[in-house]
Amino acid sequence: MGSYLVERSVFIDWISRLARHEKVYFPLPVSKSSFRFSRVRSRSRLALEDFDDPRQAKPFRASACIPPPVRLLAPDNELLFTFRRDSAGDCHPTPVLDHNRRILAGVRPCDLKAIALMDRFQGDGIADPYYLARRGNTLLIGHDCLQPCDEYCFCEAAGSLSWRQGADIFLTPQPQARLLVEPLTDQGAALLADAGFPACSDVQACRARAAARRPTPFARQFKAPLARVMHAVAESWQSPVWERHAGRCFSCGTCNLVCPTCSCFDVRDDFNVEDPDSGRRTRHRDACMLEDFAEVAGGYNFRKSPAARQRHRVMRKFVYLPQRFGGTGFCVGCGRCGRQCTVAIDIFTIATDLLAGAGEAA
Amino acid sequence: MKNRLPRPRIAFFDMAGCEGCQLAILDCEDIFLDLVDLVEIVQFREAMSETAPRYDIAFVEGSIHREIDADRLRDIRARSHRLVALGGCACHGNVQARANDWAPAENLQRVHGADTAHRVQTDGRYWPLWAHTRVRALHEVVEVDYLLRGCPVDRDEFLHLVKRLLAGSRPTFPAQPVCVECRRHGNECVFLQGETCLGQVTRGGCGAVCIGGGYRCDGCRGLLPDANLASHRQLLRERGLDAEAIDQRYRLFLSGEITDREGTDEQ
Amino acid sequence: MILDPSRYVAPGMAGPQGSKPVRGNIYLPVPAQVREVHRENDLVTTFVLEFDDPLVNQEFSFEPGQFMMVSMPHCGEAPISFSSPPGRGGGFALTVRRAGRLTSAMHRLRPGDTIGVRGPYGRPFPMTELAGSSLLFVAGGIGLAPLRSVIDFCLDHRSDYGEITLLYGCRTPADICFADDLERWSRAGVRCLCTVDEADDSWSGRVGLVTELLQDVQVEADSWRALVCGPGIMIHFVLSRLLEMGLPRDHLFTTLERHMKCGVGICGHCFLEEKLICREGPVFSLAELDDTRNL
Repeated sequence: MGSYLVERSVFIDWISRLARHEKVYFPLPVSKSSFRFSRVRSRSRLALEDFDDPRQAKPFRASACIPPPVRLLAPDNELLFTFRRDSAGDCHPTPVLDHNRRILAGVRPCDLKAIALMDRFQGDGIADPYYLARRGNTLLIGHDCLQPCDEYCFCEAAGSLSWRQGADIFLTPQPQARLLVEPLTDQGAALLADAGFPACSDVQACRARAAARRPTPFARQFKAPLARVMHAVAESWQSPVWERHAGRCFSCGTCNLVCPTCSCFDVRDDFNVEDPDSGRRTRHRDACMLEDFAEVAGGYNFRKSPAARQRHRVMRKFVYLPQRFGGTGFCVGCGRCGRQCTVAIDIFTIATDLLAGAGEAA
Repeated sequence: MKNRLPRPRIAFFDMAGCEGCQLAILDCEDIFLDLVDLVEIVQFREAMSETAPRYDIAFVEGSIHREIDADRLRDIRARSHRLVALGGCACHGNVQARANDWAPAENLQRVHGADTAHRVQTDGRYWPLWAHTRVRALHEVVEVDYLLRGCPVDRDEFLHLVKRLLAGSRPTFPAQPVCVECRRHGNECVFLQGETCLGQVTRGGCGAVCIGGGYRCDGCRGLLPDANLASHRQLLRERGLDAEAIDQRYRLFLSGEITDREGTDEQ
Repeated sequence: MILDPSRYVAPGMAGPQGSKPVRGNIYLPVPAQVREVHRENDLVTTFVLEFDDPLVNQEFSFEPGQFMMVSMPHCGEAPISFSSPPGRGGGFALTVRRAGRLTSAMHRLRPGDTIGVRGPYGRPFPMTELAGSSLLFVAGGIGLAPLRSVIDFCLDHRSDYGEITLLYGCRTPADICFADDLERWSRAGVRCLCTVDEADDSWSGRVGLVTELLQDVQVEADSWRALVCGPGIMIHFVLSRLLEMGLPRDHLFTTLERHMKCGVGICGHCFLEEKLICREGPVFSLAELDDTRNL
């Protein structure tokens, strides 16, 4: 598949043109410091990272995109089916699947990895038809990172920095306001076929140039390889670290709800006021840090304390899901949870403390 | 098979409050006519005037300040199958509950000047308004079946409650903080904008409308049962609020609740 | 990367050998009609259900220990274990205790009414592995429901299993479920011992916790297997006692309960440490459970 080397402004024009007849989503600012993947309109101002000026603020940061792009594939308040009760009292459900084609552009490597992990998660054995209907009709345009998002990011340590799998097209900033545009799938190549971008003669050199531009180390690092960190978390059931990080927790669920690999949900039924014999079943993003998440009908709560819930959240990312899905950590190091926790409970710090604890115990 | 659900008789009453919650319900105009089709509204001061002796669901707005209001509430309770506290005043005393922080005579003096203080005991014109000892939420007087929180109530929660009761099942109002809805809606956290907010300790269910509209949460829906107030107070302090400012923030809507709790005041 | 959705059209429950799930969108309930309603006691009712679609009825099969997700409009969904044995054709039984919104609504169902179900889900009791052994069942309250499916399965395949003993404990005599079945099983040679925590005038039987009944049974470590179901705390004490009696951990089985929203491992509600109760469970051998204090 041929790659292209194109001026950034030309590429941005192309995206804007594409958005006229496709549903294109791009991280657009919602405030001075935060972004949201929003539908690109004719007047949207799209900004991509500059190679030559590393001090320039990142145009959009993964950790600052609330919510993560994977939420476009598994939205809140998602309609599962409508139902109708006939005169005999029988209920007839009609599923509502979203097969709309959409393009997510400007997806950072950590979010690409999160989507790849959710592809595995949602397609494992029993597939979630709603996620897969959306995902099956979604194209991803990834965007490389030449500098860390902010002080919360730890994507290199989490093994996400070089992630490209899942992207249909991948963008890498190049000197002189140019962009390396690599199609990674047939669909990506087809989308670029008519763009008229100039071909890139030396893709390897372009990639190497960008890689060399990154600071080393890139963002925060664990004091041991990721595998050791995951092992330390796995062995930490009795650790006092959980209590230490739970004291200030509000159990507000923010860390779950902004996490790109949190996918737990709750289901609700509702009937229509205008016709009580019809209704809908929807699902909503749930959060295991919320007080009532593990409560059963009788009222018993299996994870009553914030520390127990914190432990479950971290274990799910570093231990439980990796065990199920080939060992890859489900924390992608995007830094969203740390950035958005108002009392700065940071999964990186928790993992670091657990690692330190494991070192002492050994 | 439309309307095969029996039409319950619904009534609205108001105690001490601004009647804003009843207005919020009238604001459901897009579905209000469908709703009227499903229920029989027998008493609704804002909308119509009729009276009926017994009610399937009584919505009571406002807090209880006078003993005659308490008696009226007991009477409503006795005639109602289900009693719903409508809005923050009815649920936890809301802004009015601030009055409980001082003796009635002190409040009178504050509002009407020092020379009026003695009249609370002697002047009939000030009775019975100033004779109460405490502003009470409905549940302090009678048994309340459901609480519709908020200042004003949230129309979706109101509809949820009515629909569930119509369907013969229990309405549920999860005790989750406002943050949950902020995150679900993709709002930027108020704290990230450098401001402060009561969302982490406040019951959600409002769709985080205030934050979505560019403001902050002031806690009108009441405290979460397991609110980590010690941590929240510390956070507000770290963000530059002094003890008095913090108390002011908590006491605006939460006076009725916060006094009941240990460890919430500055040690 | 665009996934091919056709590759992912609900493959159904992978795993359990004999069970055949209802196919299609995994979240869509399939209509089933209430054929019979048996009131077990004030709070507990057994429903015998049959799919509306005769083809589904023919195709559908399950195994003891599995569960169905049951839903009613406006009331949501909940997991309910089978209380009847498979292989008897024409429907299945679910036994429900009135606790939440859905189960309260179910108690208003009458024969002929329709509800929505999907499943079967979960890992069943290892009936093949249990063959050749004598079985000790220990149940508390409505915990007898999933074990009823096993006991009747064993009686349907009587020659495959050795002695069968049932220890059944309830809080009060009014909480006893399946009274008719207890008699039927006794007649069929099952040794049934019952106890209640608090007796009343109607009760002439034993009084005390179900763990006390364990004093009356003799189990050989090699030839016996025990299946336990009831409240978490009961499971903990019974399993601890059975370990003391010398039964190895992999001879002890229990079935657990959690909040579930999907039944297929996606909603994330039923994690028990790293295990998903809806997929790796609800049946576990004690060898798979590290700590029984928080069941």
